[in-house]
Amino acid sequence: MSYARRALIVAWKDLVVERRSKETLNALLFFSLALLFVFQFTLGPDRERLAAVLPGVLWLGFILSGVLGLGRTFLVERENDCWEALLLAPGDKSAVYVGKLAASLAVMLVVEAIVLALFTLFFNVDLGPVLPGLALVIVLGTLGIAAVGALFAAMTAQVRARELLFPVLLLPVLVPVLLAAVKATEALLLREDLASVAHWWQLLVAADIVYVVIGLLTFDVILEG
Amino acid sequence: MPDNWGFVLAAYGLAAFVFLGYWRWLIRKEHDLRALRSDRAMRSHSPSRTAHPRPEPGSRAPLP
Amino acid sequence: MVKVLGWLAALGVAAGLIVGFGVAPREVTQGNVQRIMYLHVPAVWVAYLSFIVGFVASVAYLARRREGADRLAHAACEVGTVFLGVNIATGAIWGKPTWGTWWTWDARLTSVAVVFVMFLAYLLLRQAVEDRERGARYAAVLGIVAALNIPLVHFSVYWWRTLHQPPSLIKPGSSAMSPVILVALLVNFAALALLGAYFVARRTRVLAAEAEALA
Repeated sequence: MSYARRALIVAWKDLVVERRSKETLNALLFFSLALLFVFQFTLGPDRERLAAVLPGVLWLGFILSGVLGLGRTFLVERENDCWEALLLAPGDKSAVYVGKLAASLAVMLVVEAIVLALFTLFFNVDLGPVLPGLALVIVLGTLGIAAVGALFAAMTAQVRARELLFPVLLLPVLVPVLLAAVKATEALLLREDLASVAHWWQLLVAADIVYVVIGLLTFDVILEG
Repeated sequence: MPDNWGFVLAAYGLAAFVFLGYWRWLIRKEHDLRALRSDRAMRSHSPSRTAHPRPEPGSRAPLP
Repeated sequence: MVKVLGWLAALGVAAGLIVGFGVAPREVTQGNVQRIMYLHVPAVWVAYLSFIVGFVASVAYLARRREGADRLAHAACEVGTVFLGVNIATGAIWGKPTWGTWWTWDARLTSVAVVFVMFLAYLLLRQAVEDRERGARYAAVLGIVAALNIPLVHFSVYWWRTLHQPPSLIKPGSSAMSPVILVALLVNFAALALLGAYFVARRTRVLAAEAEALA
């Protein structure tokens, strides 16, 4: 069975499970909505302040949702001895990593698209001209989150203090990605010229490459037992 | 500009506290582990009720 | 061997203190509070050096699975974290009289704080995984991720603080360094590096003893 096919099967399995249960999707969506409401309550009347913090709030929602969702991506394997099946699967186990990454990325992007639509609706932001650039930032940023998240989720799945350890490992490592994503989003929303955003795009691309490569190279090691 | 020797003392004092503290922690750990090891060695030297063969004393690696 | 290292470290620290307080001059703008720099700056150099050692040892462990490499990685990352903590604390103590605040979100402080938290997480992972072999593998991966993340952290934070923002804060002490001050810094760096090496050596010895005790 080819590498790509194995990765695809893992991804498809995860997405089917998700589509049937909608567990992760719902949790992420409603968490983001709660965030949206809270920020409206605290900053609503002051539109200027709201516009200023919007990029940060948006990515805060994305990252916290990501922590919730990613932390559970390997939990589904704990049932029915699926974990052991994964360990025994022949061939390069990094195919599992690619599959998990793809599935997590897909779910997160769906949630983020919905949240973004709601944010623009409720905060009356005009995204039209910057949408392509914004989409790129969101995809690159989410890829970074998912790339590290999938690796660390596999690591912490076997550890007793899983829920505590996963965010502790993930969030400090993701600071550069979050920083770049927030600043790029801000620059786009403020209609700054693309030269300033370019730096952040480059950083996101560099970070994504580093994380995905490390993930591909070391996932086998994590899944050894 | 005032010299703020208090802050200088605080900084060096803090560093000394941390480094000495870490050093003492290492020493204590080593001491505990050595005690544990000699404790076990003593117990294994006592006459054994089992028939387990034991290596000749001469073939054991010397303690560091 | 380790004993020799210990004595060298003690000598180095003494030399560093002498040079830092006796030889180096009283700084013009800041006064004597600048002498904290002879502790603060070498500490971060030693910390980062330790993290690099930790990175190499982590890669070596994954490549050959030699326990010695794992113990070195653990010790180096731990000692690095200790030195980085000292760096942050002494930086805050220096900042209060000089900048008027314990903390500020400038590029260097923010980067160091992020790196510190990353390696605290490394130590937490070491504590959390009970199985020794699995802990070694996981920690090696995290050590590699954390070390490779350091430049990303630094660049992102630096760009955050400098793009569109001319450095408004004139940092005392970052102006041209007189040779005496440079020498004092280097002597203290050698001192702290020896101290760090001594700690790493002792820590690996403790880890080896622990492994033996659990065998």
